[in-house]
Amino acid sequence: MNPSLHRMEQVLLQVNECPSPPPSLIAGAHLGAGLGLKAEHLDDILALPTGEEVCTGGHLWFEVHTENYFVAGGPRLNYLRAIRENYDLSFHGVGGSLGYDHQSMPEHIKQVKALINEFQPTLISEHAVWSRASGAYFADLMPLPRTQDALQSLVDGVDRYQSGIGRRILIENPSNYLDFTSEMDEPQFLVEAAQRSGCGLLIDINNLYLSSKNTGIDAAQYLSQIPAELVGEIHIAGHDPDPELGQALLIDSHASPVDLPVWELLQHALTLFGHRPVLVERDANLPPFAELMNERQQAQGYLDQCRYEVASANVSLGGTR
Amino acid sequence: MSLSPYIDAFTDYLRTGDAGGMNDYCVDATQIKRLAIYRNGFYKGCIDALAANFPVCEKSLGREYFNQFAGLYVDHYPPEIGTLVGYGEYFPYFIRDLLAELEQQGGPMLLPASLVDLARLDYAWLTSLMSAGTTQTLTADKITWLVEQGEDFTQAQVTLNASVDLLRFNPGTLNQWIGFKMNSPDVEPLQLSPEGHMNLSELAQADSSIAVDTVMFWQLNGAVQARLLSAPEVALMRVLQDDGVLEKAFDAALALDPSFDVSDVFSACLQNEILDIDLTKYNYKS
Repeated sequence: MNPSLHRMEQVLLQVNECPSPPPSLIAGAHLGAGLGLKAEHLDDILALPTGEEVCTGGHLWFEVHTENYFVAGGPRLNYLRAIRENYDLSFHGVGGSLGYDHQSMPEHIKQVKALINEFQPTLISEHAVWSRASGAYFADLMPLPRTQDALQSLVDGVDRYQSGIGRRILIENPSNYLDFTSEMDEPQFLVEAAQRSGCGLLIDINNLYLSSKNTGIDAAQYLSQIPAELVGEIHIAGHDPDPELGQALLIDSHASPVDLPVWELLQHALTLFGHRPVLVERDANLPPFAELMNERQQAQGYLDQCRYEVASANVSLGGTR
Repeated sequence: MSLSPYIDAFTDYLRTGDAGGMNDYCVDATQIKRLAIYRNGFYKGCIDALAANFPVCEKSLGREYFNQFAGLYVDHYPPEIGTLVGYGEYFPYFIRDLLAELEQQGGPMLLPASLVDLARLDYAWLTSLMSAGTTQTLTADKITWLVEQGEDFTQAQVTLNASVDLLRFNPGTLNQWIGFKMNSPDVEPLQLSPEGHMNLSELAQADSSIAVDTVMFWQLNGAVQARLLSAPEVALMRVLQDDGVLEKAFDAALALDPSFDVSDVFSACLQNEILDIDLTKYNYKS
C-alpha cells in the first residue's frame, strides 16, 4: 500500500474518533454543536431526517431553559417529549439563584429534578449569579461581587443544587457591564467555585467577549486561566450595541447572528479546551430555522476541525491520546 | 466584604431605581448608570411574560398601555418563584383595582369595559393549557366495565379534569376574546374611545341587570377548548365540581329544564375527556 495513503487512512480513522475526554465530562463528550430549542422551530426540527448527524457530521442536540417547563402538563411538555425521542437535551437553568437566597431552592430543585427524571438530559447547567432576594425573583442574571463571601454563597448554592438533583452541573460565566468591588478576578472566582463544589464550567464565549469589551479584561488571558478539564460546554450567541452608548457598551441580546470576533474567540477556546459541546443561542428576532442551522453548521465545522487537528497531531506523534 | 449588604443595595435599586446604595460597590462611579441594564432586563422579562400570558389583554390595550399596566403590576407583585411561567395570577384583579382607583380619581376612563374579563379569560386559557394530564379519564369502556360489575355508574364519584375551568362574565366577552385570540378580521378591535367604553359604575349596573355568560375551558389533545354553557349545563358542571355524583348533577340540570337532554351532554363530556374517575376501589385493571 502506498505509505502516504496508509497514513491518510490513519488520519481519517482518527478523525472519526473522539479524543478521550476526562471522565467527569463523559456525559456530553459525544455532542457536537447544538441549538436552543424554540417552539417556533418545532415543526422544522421534527421534519429533520433521522440520524441528522450523518448529514451534518456532528451530533445535533437542543438546549432548553429548564424553568420554561415548570408546568404540570400540556403541549409544552409534549413537544419536548417529541424532541427527546431523537435528540440529546441540555437543561439550562436561569432561575436557580445559586449565588444568593437559597431558602426557596428546595421547591425549585424539586421541579428541576422531576424534569430531569423524565427527560434524562445529557447536560445540566446554571449561572454563577443571583436572582432571588427579599422574597422576590428578579428575573434576570444579577452579578455577584467576586469576594470570598460571595464565592462561599455560590459554592453553597451549587452544592444544594447538585445534591438536590443528584447530578453534576456546569455553571456559566456572566456578561459583565461594569466592574464591582472584587477580591479576585473572574477565572479565579469560577475555578475556585468549581473546585470547591465539584461542578464544571460552561464558558459562554459571547459573555466573555462582551465582558472584555465592556470592562477591559483580556479574553485570551481569561481563557488561559481556565483548566480544560473543568469545561463541559461552550455557548456562543449574538450581541448588540447599547442604543445610547453604542460599541462602548455591548448588550447580551441573543437577538442577532454570532459576530465574527466571537467566532474567532470560539476557535481559540477550542484549541485550548479541545472538543466540547457548543451551543448557538438565539432568543429574540428569531430567524428561519435553516438560518440557525447554518450558524450551527459553522460551529460544527470548527468542532470537526478541532477533532481533525487533535487526530492529526496524534498521528504525527505516532500514537493516540 | 459581606455579600448581604451588596444584595440589599442591589435589590433596593432593582425595586426603586435608586442606585445610591450601589456607589460603594461600583469601581467606577461614572459607570453606575450601566446598572440600568439589569433593572431593565428584570422589568422587560416580567412584562414580556405578562404579554405572553395575557395576549388578548395586550392586544386590546395596545402594547404601550399594556406595558404601563404590566410595569405597575411588577412593582406591586414581583415574581416570587424562579420562573415566569404562569406569572400574573393576580393581574386581572390588579387591573380591576387599578381601574377602580382611576375611576375614583375622576380620570378619563378610556379603557375597554371588558378588560378585566379578557384578562381572566387569558389566564384561564393559560392554566388550562398547562394543567396536568390524567390517566383516570372516564371513558365509555370504563362505564361498560362498571355496569358489568353490577355497579350503578350514576352513583359513581367523578371529578372534573384538572384542565377544566368555569368562568362567569358579561355577555359577548367570549366572542370578543376569541376574535382577538384568533386574529379574526371579522371582529372589530375594542375601541379606546369615550363612546366605546363603559365606566365602572355602568359596569356594576350591567352586572346586576343582565345575564352572565359561563364559559368552560378544558384541554383536549394538547389544545384548549372553550364553550359557552347553558344554565342547565352550568348547574350540572357545578355539582360535578362540588360533589361529583353523576345522578345529583343530572338532577340539578333537569331541575332547571325538565326537557334537558342529559344523555347528550354526558356523551359530550366523555368525548371531550373532561371527567375523571378513580376506579382503584373497584379493583379495575386497564
